[in-house]
Amino acid sequence: MWKNFRKVLLSTVATSAVTTGALAVLPASHAGAATPTQVTWAEAPQTPPNYIFPFMPLQYFSVSNINNFQLLMYRPLYWFGNGTTPNLNPKLSLAEQPSYSNGGKAVTINLKSYKWSNGESVTSRDVVFWMNMMHADKENWADYSEGAMPDDIASITVNSPTKLTFNLKSPVNSYWFTYNELSQITPMPIAWDKTSDGAAAGSGKCSSATFGSADKACDDVFTYLSRASGFDPTNPKSDNNAMATYATNPLWQVVDGPWKLSKFDSSGNVTMIPNKAYSGPSKPKFQKFIELPFTSDAAEFNALVAGKVDVGYLPTAQVTSPASSPFKPGANNARLSSYTLDPLYTWSINYFPYNFQSTGNHGNAGKIFSQLYFRQAFQSLVNQPLYIEKIFKGYGIPTYGPVPAYPTNNFISSFAKKNPYPYSVSRARQLLASHGWKIQPKGTSTCVRPGTKANQCGKGIPKGAKLDFALEYASGGTALPQEMNAEKSSWAQVGINVTITGASFNTVLGNAVPCTAGPSCTWQLENWGGGWVFAPDYYPTGEAIFQTNAGSNSGSYSDKVSDAKIVATTVRNVPLTDYQNYLAKQLPVVFQPNPVTSLTEIKKGLKGVLPQSPLYSINPEDWHY
Amino acid sequence: MTGYLIRRVVQAIIVVLGVTLVVFLLSHLIPGGQARAALGPRANHAQIIAFNHANGYDQPLLVQYWRYITGLVAGNLGYSYKNNQGVAALIMNRIPKTLALVGVSTLLALLIALPLGMAQAVRRNSGFDYSMTAVTFVLYATPAFLIGELSIIFFSFTLGWLPSSVPSDASSLAIFTNPLAFVLPVVTLAALTIAAFSRYMRSSVLDALTGDYIRTARAKGASPRRVLYGHAMRNALLPILTLIGLSLPAIVGGALITEVVFNYPGMGLLTVQAAQNIDIPLVLGTTLVATVATVGGSLLADVLYAAADPRIRLGNS
Repeated sequence: MWKNFRKVLLSTVATSAVTTGALAVLPASHAGAATPTQVTWAEAPQTPPNYIFPFMPLQYFSVSNINNFQLLMYRPLYWFGNGTTPNLNPKLSLAEQPSYSNGGKAVTINLKSYKWSNGESVTSRDVVFWMNMMHADKENWADYSEGAMPDDIASITVNSPTKLTFNLKSPVNSYWFTYNELSQITPMPIAWDKTSDGAAAGSGKCSSATFGSADKACDDVFTYLSRASGFDPTNPKSDNNAMATYATNPLWQVVDGPWKLSKFDSSGNVTMIPNKAYSGPSKPKFQKFIELPFTSDAAEFNALVAGKVDVGYLPTAQVTSPASSPFKPGANNARLSSYTLDPLYTWSINYFPYNFQSTGNHGNAGKIFSQLYFRQAFQSLVNQPLYIEKIFKGYGIPTYGPVPAYPTNNFISSFAKKNPYPYSVSRARQLLASHGWKIQPKGTSTCVRPGTKANQCGKGIPKGAKLDFALEYASGGTALPQEMNAEKSSWAQVGINVTITGASFNTVLGNAVPCTAGPSCTWQLENWGGGWVFAPDYYPTGEAIFQTNAGSNSGSYSDKVSDAKIVATTVRNVPLTDYQNYLAKQLPVVFQPNPVTSLTEIKKGLKGVLPQSPLYSINPEDWHY
Repeated sequence: MTGYLIRRVVQAIIVVLGVTLVVFLLSHLIPGGQARAALGPRANHAQIIAFNHANGYDQPLLVQYWRYITGLVAGNLGYSYKNNQGVAALIMNRIPKTLALVGVSTLLALLIALPLGMAQAVRRNSGFDYSMTAVTFVLYATPAFLIGELSIIFFSFTLGWLPSSVPSDASSLAIFTNPLAFVLPVVTLAALTIAAFSRYMRSSVLDALTGDYIRTARAKGASPRRVLYGHAMRNALLPILTLIGLSLPAIVGGALITEVVFNYPGMGLLTVQAAQNIDIPLVLGTTLVATVATVGGSLLADVLYAAADPRIRLGNS
């Protein structure tokens, strides 16, 4: 019996083995290894590009769509990111630096001699095409905010095919207008000015109209181009298959950038080939630039170890040696000996908001947050250098105010470069005790001297009110939970009891919305872990995040002095010094250390990748072996 | 049998509708909702209102649900703004990949586990039984990501025999452009299920071998082969059939960890992404697929059970 059974068993196992073996011996068709004629670049996990038309609504406004995809094909009027700085890059811009006249109310732009890949020149009409579309469909432009472009433009004068003048309704700060308004413009080819596949270029009548005079025509063109990109403005929920046509649709083959799309699929596999007609300063050296999608950090790391990626990133979990300073990386992971490690810090600040309107903590949270002494004490217990060293393994930069101190830039003031509120438990204790709080280390401090005098708790804070708060943070990563626990322990030293709760990024983001004091406005502190990235508003003014009633002023911070200083930075040629020094002292938010954005891994021998742009952009046309 | 099937199908439809309703209502309770998830931290109040209006998210929930159901009847599963694609297209792209991965690994696991379980039962309490028990327990207890990573380190990086990831083209047939790349994820997934199937099979065969009908068969002079395959195995397979039926949801639901480790964009990853992004149409779409698979798998198990055991057919009739 057993003999027969063994035979059957062996035959069954053999069948299984043959099946497995058959899979194993089949030849590989593509090893995926890079050759000198192509270069591969790793996309961030699960964020493949999925929108090609540069004029896009907010849901498609992402680094993967803009900086890592569209900008390679369609160049903006002004390119920002010059070396390691966020400054305007004259070399890569399609126009000479703008000149301001008429007391800051007229802006003249002279275009350089760039060509589209279909042989046509990049002209003033292409700029007007964009501006007319912005006028017609500003609610569908991701970066639109009320009162800003195009609302602040009275007219546009086309002086010649290479020169045009923007006439503004009121004077502006030239830095602000160049860095935050002109930065939004991407000239569009006349080949896109139509409303159906078979129509003639320019038949849409959007590019040829004077500024603001062809809203209906431009809206039709916008609808056509958006549909070709996958979004139907007239029926946002409609299904379509536009992404499958990105690489074949003739529309998207008209480019003025160094690359043209050759292959594209919805999984994020992108292949670009050089635009032979590219008239910019640096021509592509590789025959192909390939973007590779990944499902996870682990999968990307495995691809690096296998040498399948030329430029990728080191997942933070795989960091084996701490950095001696933020810009001097430690030894690379031993399994990546054929790569060079380079940290990238983006043009951003990190913070989380107080909700100044919060009725949490028995109605006291917002009132306590409104006290400057409390915010000073709270911030004094955030030990940024320690968290950078211990939690971020040295790969992080501190945030002390509303202007990023790093990467090196001309906008930061000498005052804001240093921490106005360095870590100090004794200072925090003194601040609270001198304002009427009975300190209970490791417990919950209480207000014992209510009132509005200098040594009392402050307006609206009753006797017995507790320093007891709730903080929700995005718990998806590993660093932020550690950081929140560390800060909780730190605050507890002076009896500020913060109950921390992890939630998904989107939940935190969903809760951190401006609200008016009332029964439903109870959130107190929300940390999504990202703060604010200054792009495409590269001039780090605060009108979007700190001005009263600004759309992204999550915690409803409101201060008349601050508002005046913010407005001044947009309408007059004043430096940011006053504004940033004031807000660095006022602490409208809880400033947090800013972890490294990417630990970029570059295959040894590949040149031209460094320095990395702090604005996320990549320039593979500069890369070569 | 036909009446039984009709009853089960009607029950299945009710369950599917119930699940979609619950998921639909729960997903709308998430703070900020879909607009905030779609538009991100830069979105201002006006943009959120405009997005909700354009997408009909400002309508009463029941109206939205009714639209969803009528859309379903028309074959429209909705649109994923995060992926800029239709939900049906996304699912139809991922399901074949997942079916290939989980289906082949399940088949491989069965091909190994069933004979292994039988051999262990027949040679119970022997050195072979103990050693195989130890091996299967170790496999069962080892997390998928660890097996995956270790197999990559050994077979890809050390020996250089097999690729560490699967071709990532969007096409469902992309995996066939490099079948070698398919080996490690399939074996990793199979290693986890071999243990479960073989332990079930061992217990089931042991149980069957003690039955009166086995003693009777032996007494009547049936050969050991006939006793094992003709009598014991058929009965022992009954609980395995249930197990196979209930593994159908996994076959279309995906294998998240394996997908993550081997860069394999399947249904598991799609489902998790949908939930993380609060991509409600996609959440509903993946839930619908998982529910249909669960209900269908349960139904299939019952049908197979009835086919394998005449007593069940007789009982129902």
